[in-house]
Amino acid sequence: MKRSLRFWTRYTWESMAVLLGAMAALAVISLLGADREQMADFAAQLPYLLCASAIFGMMMINTGAQTLYIPLLLSMGETRRNVLLGFRYYQALILAVTIGLCGLIWLLVPGELSSLGLRSLPFILCVLVVVSSMGSIMGTLFVRWKWLGTLIIILLCGGAGGLIGITSATALNGGFSAAEVVKLAGYLVKTPWWLVLIALGTLAADVLFQWVLLRRREVKL
Amino acid sequence: MSLTCQHITKAYGGREVLRDISLTLEPGRIYGLIGRNGAGKTTLLSILTAQNPATGGTVSLDGQPVWENRKSLEKLCFSRELTANAESGLAAMKVKEYLRIASIYYPGWDKEMEKRLVELFQLNTKKKLAKLSKGMLSMVTIIVAMCSKAPYTILDEPVAGLDVVAREQFYKLLLEEYTETGRTFVVSTHIIEEASDILEEVIVLHEGKLLLMEETQALLDRVRHVSGKAEEVDAATAGLELHHTETVGRSKGVTVFLQPGQSVDETRDVSVQPVSLQRAFVALCGEEERHEA
Amino acid sequence: MNEHLTDQKSIYLQIGEMIETDILRGILLEEEQAPSTNELAKLYTINPATAAKGINLLVDRGILYKRRGIGMFVAPGAREKILANRRAGFAEKHIAPLLAEAKSLGIRREELLTMIGETEL
Repeated sequence: MKRSLRFWTRYTWESMAVLLGAMAALAVISLLGADREQMADFAAQLPYLLCASAIFGMMMINTGAQTLYIPLLLSMGETRRNVLLGFRYYQALILAVTIGLCGLIWLLVPGELSSLGLRSLPFILCVLVVVSSMGSIMGTLFVRWKWLGTLIIILLCGGAGGLIGITSATALNGGFSAAEVVKLAGYLVKTPWWLVLIALGTLAADVLFQWVLLRRREVKL
Repeated sequence: MSLTCQHITKAYGGREVLRDISLTLEPGRIYGLIGRNGAGKTTLLSILTAQNPATGGTVSLDGQPVWENRKSLEKLCFSRELTANAESGLAAMKVKEYLRIASIYYPGWDKEMEKRLVELFQLNTKKKLAKLSKGMLSMVTIIVAMCSKAPYTILDEPVAGLDVVAREQFYKLLLEEYTETGRTFVVSTHIIEEASDILEEVIVLHEGKLLLMEETQALLDRVRHVSGKAEEVDAATAGLELHHTETVGRSKGVTVFLQPGQSVDETRDVSVQPVSLQRAFVALCGEEERHEA
Repeated sequence: MNEHLTDQKSIYLQIGEMIETDILRGILLEEEQAPSTNELAKLYTINPATAAKGINLLVDRGILYKRRGIGMFVAPGAREKILANRRAGFAEKHIAPLLAEAKSLGIRREELLTMIGETEL
């Protein structure tokens, strides 16, 4: 298990570097079209950009991890149990770091947006859990049924591309006004109980599904 | 200490690829696993190292199960044949990264040796696996196997795509490592002629069945090629286990597998010649007509 | 020692013969250390167990002997023994096939003897 922790911890930092890179790219795009008023609140909006990159990043990264790293580790003599635990540790770590970074930024930046943001952290966490679990399930599907996986990934890439396009377009057209962002953030403050249930449900489904397939998986590199 | 499998079977749907295989790999030996394409070699090796689940049967190391047992798995290294085609997730991985992950997972990893071998094979570790030739991928497989220092190390087709000089380097390296450490090696190969002299024991797999497991020299001592006039050959080899009979006009050649106490009747007018491992293998597994006396 | 191996004969027999030939030719002297199993294995790229089998063959014949902790040495009188062995085996190894071939070619005994007499050494 020690070796697994070493491997997945390092892989977490690599993934985080990708996510932060995507966040930086989104930040540059929104700064291009921002006015003075939006600039003031810019720091407090960064966490949303980080979350946006995490949502799509985790979908991709999880699929990759499932297809590449899991068989690789099995081929190097790791037990199936430890592969599952290691992968879960990685998921938890990346969620914790993302949420931690969001929290840290909002703590450091004063303002209404930040306090709203801090209160919406549970909501964001739930969404991220759902998204990462979906990504992992898709990875599992992809490994088991290649064509289905390919289809899903194409749809996903299309979706992600479209969303990034819309975001950039909005940003370039002057973006949301500060008031609009505050209004949006206001919606996220209260975490509905059904969202928590969905998050727990997808997580459980993901772990179960992954274990069922991992238990008798055959290593192919 | 030994790696043992008992009554291993493996089926995909209704298709049986391994049938009731039981064998024991003793420590401190070099085994050769030979068989035709599709004989089930890679499947057997995967099952021995818990990379594939068996449909039936058990695998154990020193009496302990291998499946889901990290203690046993740490003593094994199955350096798989790498393909790294576009479909494989490995394609985009750099050699350096692959070796780094191996160094994390194999507890006995030898960093010095890794450096030495990368140099010996003149391997560019910054390259992506997909950019490597078949021979270079084999080198990566060999480096992982050697540097893992695992007491039981399995190499699947380690010389595929290597040129003759690199193959010679590999055989020398294998012998050097073997004499220094006494690790057990299992090498699956199609280049039987070259490897036969370094294999202490051969395991022959044919159509999912264990056809033979025997000391190489003992096997070669009991296999003979007998040729001459058909009647003379028949008389000289009457009652013996014959394989791979070839007839041209009145002339006939057979490969004989002698059992203890048996011999070819050399008073007959026939030529009796020793047989190389490759020829013995072709005689056993070739498609030509086969007689069992 | 640097001859090449053939696949016409068991490798361990060839290893034994090569060491014997080296002793006959004075490449290896009596009371001198013989090559180790591992050296032979590396030189010929063969399994050390096979090399050991060849060496043990010579130990059994009293041509090599073991000094504990050091290795194998050429026994005193080894050269004489090898000569005697090879002389004893000469008829079977060289004359018998010669006669067999002569017979299948229809060469008579007297003819063969004349041929031998006329062949320069």
